[in-house]
Formats: sequence, structure tokens, C-alpha cells
Amino acid sequence: MVRVEGLTVAYGGIEAVRGVSLEVAEGELVTLIGNNGAGKTSTLMAISGVAPIRSGRIVIDGEETTKLPPHAIVARGVAHCPEGRLVFGRLTVQENLRLGAYQRKDSAGVKQDLDRVYALFPRLLERRTQLAGTLSGGEQQMLAIGRALMSRPRLLMLDEPSLGLAPLIVQRIFSVIQQLHEEGVTILLVEQNAHLALTLADRAYVLETGEVRLAGPAKQMIDNPEVRKAYLSQ
Amino acid sequence: MFTPTYVAQQIINGVNLGSMYALIAIGLTMVYGLLRLINFAHGDLLMLGAYLGLLLVSATFMPLILTLFIPMLVIGFLGILVERLAYRPLRGAPEVTMLITSLAVSSIIENSMVMTVTAQPRAFNLPAGVNRLHTVAGVSFSTLDALTVGLSVALMAALTLYVRNTRTGIAMRAAAENLRAARLMGIDINRVVMVAFFLGSMLAAAAGWLWAAKYSTVEPFMGFLPGLKAFVAAVIGGIGVIPGAVLGGYLLGFAEIFFVGFLPPAFSGYRDAFVFALLLLILLIRPNGILGASTEERA
Repeated sequence: MVRVEGLTVAYGGIEAVRGVSLEVAEGELVTLIGNNGAGKTSTLMAISGVAPIRSGRIVIDGEETTKLPPHAIVARGVAHCPEGRLVFGRLTVQENLRLGAYQRKDSAGVKQDLDRVYALFPRLLERRTQLAGTLSGGEQQMLAIGRALMSRPRLLMLDEPSLGLAPLIVQRIFSVIQQLHEEGVTILLVEQNAHLALTLADRAYVLETGEVRLAGPAKQMIDNPEVRKAYLSQ
Repeated sequence: MFTPTYVAQQIINGVNLGSMYALIAIGLTMVYGLLRLINFAHGDLLMLGAYLGLLLVSATFMPLILTLFIPMLVIGFLGILVERLAYRPLRGAPEVTMLITSLAVSSIIENSMVMTVTAQPRAFNLPAGVNRLHTVAGVSFSTLDALTVGLSVALMAALTLYVRNTRTGIAMRAAAENLRAARLMGIDINRVVMVAFFLGSMLAAAAGWLWAAKYSTVEPFMGFLPGLKAFVAAVIGGIGVIPGAVLGGYLLGFAEIFFVGFLPPAFSGYRDAFVFALLLLILLIRPNGILGASTEERA
């Protein structure tokens, strides 16, 4: 589905990602774990076409997208739920969701997906006419995920969906991610809660200071002593 | 000394001036919201709209309303052209670079006009009927005043409906709030920016026509002060937010008229200084303007 080859992302002189290669196959749930500043967010931003790529290639469905603008990447079925949620606070919940479907022309399908998102997150239905800026952090996260789903993506990239949320809401959000995975949506998940991410994922990459340190099936990672020590604090 | 009639008269004048400021401020605020660009050339598009209106009024016999609508359309497209040629190549450049570029564009437009039509002010005379005075309960206003307010309100209502309800309108509000998130939604920013320049320049042309009609004159530098004051209005209301531009425009219109109308005549020369003092005062109390987003919200 998506392949990243030797990606280097640099902001000014600072390289946030250095020669990262990774791959997510159709229907897979892959997670990127690593500490702050390891380059996880920059990798996702590069795939979406909003990070300055210095070198390397990004290939989606066999077609190079490295230099394409973000709207062309969304058009290829990629949805990105960014770190920090970035919901549009001055827009209503429903307007935020409709923006997720910005490129879609099939209004019947959009309506159907809107109902589906409201079924997944009933809280959003209750608050659909409220400004997104007035929602709680957990509700904003639900909105951000719902908004990403509205494009009916084939590849869903989630950046720190559990950050700063109460355990109960984290549980709810991860059960939705699990459900999407079972429905066959390809998912690339960046998550600081490594234990949670590894339990859910098929495969994992460990990033350290902008480079891939380890890669392999998620179940093996959980048992890897290095990973346990550094990321699972055991 | 200030009779109710006098006060009513001042209010009418305030609404009148405020309507024009609001029309101009909307274009400035839309563009700033999307690109963080303070478009100094905005007032010059207003001036070009006024000149084109003058040309149509004096050289053709078309209905008056067309002499207004045609410049609006033409200047709308000119706005798109200016953005395409001058501002789009600078996408992602520092704000200062864009600011200087807009000053350059402004200077190029003004001086091209000086060279082609000279700096000599020209009379902008409308058919006599338009300036006819009506008196209701001792308060007088011209047909033009009524047209100014009616047209401004109608245009602003149309714009509000557009921005509230259409797909592009919602995308525009989203992009003004967070450009990067809007791009991640698949919104083509260049398209949204193009629409913003078209609509904003159109409103500026309408304001230019009305301004020229009110003061019965056009000249190549006529756009500078209205442009600057409309910028003040946009900042007072909360730059980047369209209702803020409207609110700021009317507030400034009223403040200016009241300052001149209710203070001793000796003060009226300080009219423009007062406008900027008001800006400083409001920004001291609300640094992001009256309806502006707080800085954290914008991050």
C-alpha cells in the first residue's frame, strides 16, 4: 500500500528523519514507536506531503508520490489524523466531519459514513452543532479520528491518538482502531503507549533519533529485551 | 445642542462610512487569514474599481447598476491575477517578504495609473437622481447613501451565506484557522486562496465605486487611506475572522464620524490620528481583536 525508501526530512539544517525505510501492506496494522523526537510524526507528515523531504522516495500503490501536494495524496486514499488533533475549533462538529469528506462527490456515501461515525462516537452526535473548540480533549480526539474516517480512507495514519486522554477513552478509541483493522482498513499508527500499540499491531518499527533501529512482528517486539527495557519500562 | 435629529444624522453617516470600511476589510481579513499576508495592494484594487466605474459611467449609457457590477467582476479577476503573479511564487516565504512584495505591487499599480491617466483627480459624477436628498423626520440622506448601505449589507449577507454553507466556504474558514490541518483534509489551498482573492477584490471594487461616488472624485492614490483604515478595522475586529472585519468596519466608521461630529471642530483635523489611537487602545485590552482567536487556538 505504502512504501517509504531512504526518507530524509530536514527542517532547515536539522534532520528529523534520516534514511528511514518502511512499508505497510494492504490491510496491515503497523505501528511506529520511539521516544519524542525520534522522527515518527515527521515520517507521517512526509507521507502526507506536508514535510520538507530532502531525499528518498514515497510510493503509494506502486506510484511515486514524493513530490505531490497533500490534496493529491488524500485523493489516493490516505487519511491523516495528526498529533494534537488539530480539529477546527471555530467550526461545528458536523462541519469538521464534512471537511474530512472534502474531496468526495458521493453525497449518499458521505451521509452513510457520517451516520457510521456518529454510531462509533455517540458523543459527537449529541454535540454535532457545537463548535469543536468547546469539546473536551477526549471528544476532540474522537472528532479527529471521525474526521479522518470521513474520507473513507484505504490508509489511515493515526498520530498519538491516546495522548493526554483518560484510560477509559483510550480504551474506547483503541477498540475503534481494532474494529477498523478488522474491517480491512490499512493503518499506520504512531503511539507513545508502546505496550498498547504492540498488542494491537501486526508489525512494528522502532525509531531512534530519526533512524529505524528495529523492525519486525509486533509480538516479537513485546518479548525483545531491548524494547522491553527502553519502551515498555519492564 | 445635540438634537435627536443631529444624532440620528451622525448615526446615518456612521453606518455609511462603516459599510465601506467593512466591505474593504473583508478582503484584507480573508487574505490575511489564509496567507498571513497584509495586502497593501488591496486599496489599489479599490482605486482601479473606481476608475473602471468612472469609465463606464462617463463613456457608456449602460444602466447604473452595470457600471458597478462590471468593475466588481473585472477587479475580482484582477485580484486572482495579482495573487497568481506576485504572491503565489512566495508561498511559504517569511511574512516580511510578502509584506514588502505587496507594497511593491501597490506602488506598481499606483504609478502605472499616474503614468497612464495622470495624478490629476477626476470628477466622478453620477446622474442627478442618485444624489437626490430625501428627508425623513428631519434626517436627510441621499439615494446614494441608501444604495451604499443596502448594497453593502446585501453583499456581506451573500458572502456570509457563501462562507457558512458552501463546501469551499467551509474549507476557507478551516484553512484560515489551521492551514496545515486543512491541507491534510485534502483541501487544495491554492484554489481556496484564489476564491478569497476573487471575492475580496470584488468587494473592494464595490467599495471603490461607492467611495468615488460619495466624494465625487477619483485619483490614483485614493485607495491608500481607505485600505489602511480597513486594515485597522480588520485588526480591531480580530484579523482572519470575517464577522470581525464587519464589526471592526462599522465600529471604526461610527467612531470616526462621532469623533468629528460630537467634539469641538478644532479636533476634527485629528480624525485619522484618532483612528490609530483607537486601534492601540483596543489592542492593549484585546491583543487579538474583539472576535479574534486567542494565540493558543491558532497554533
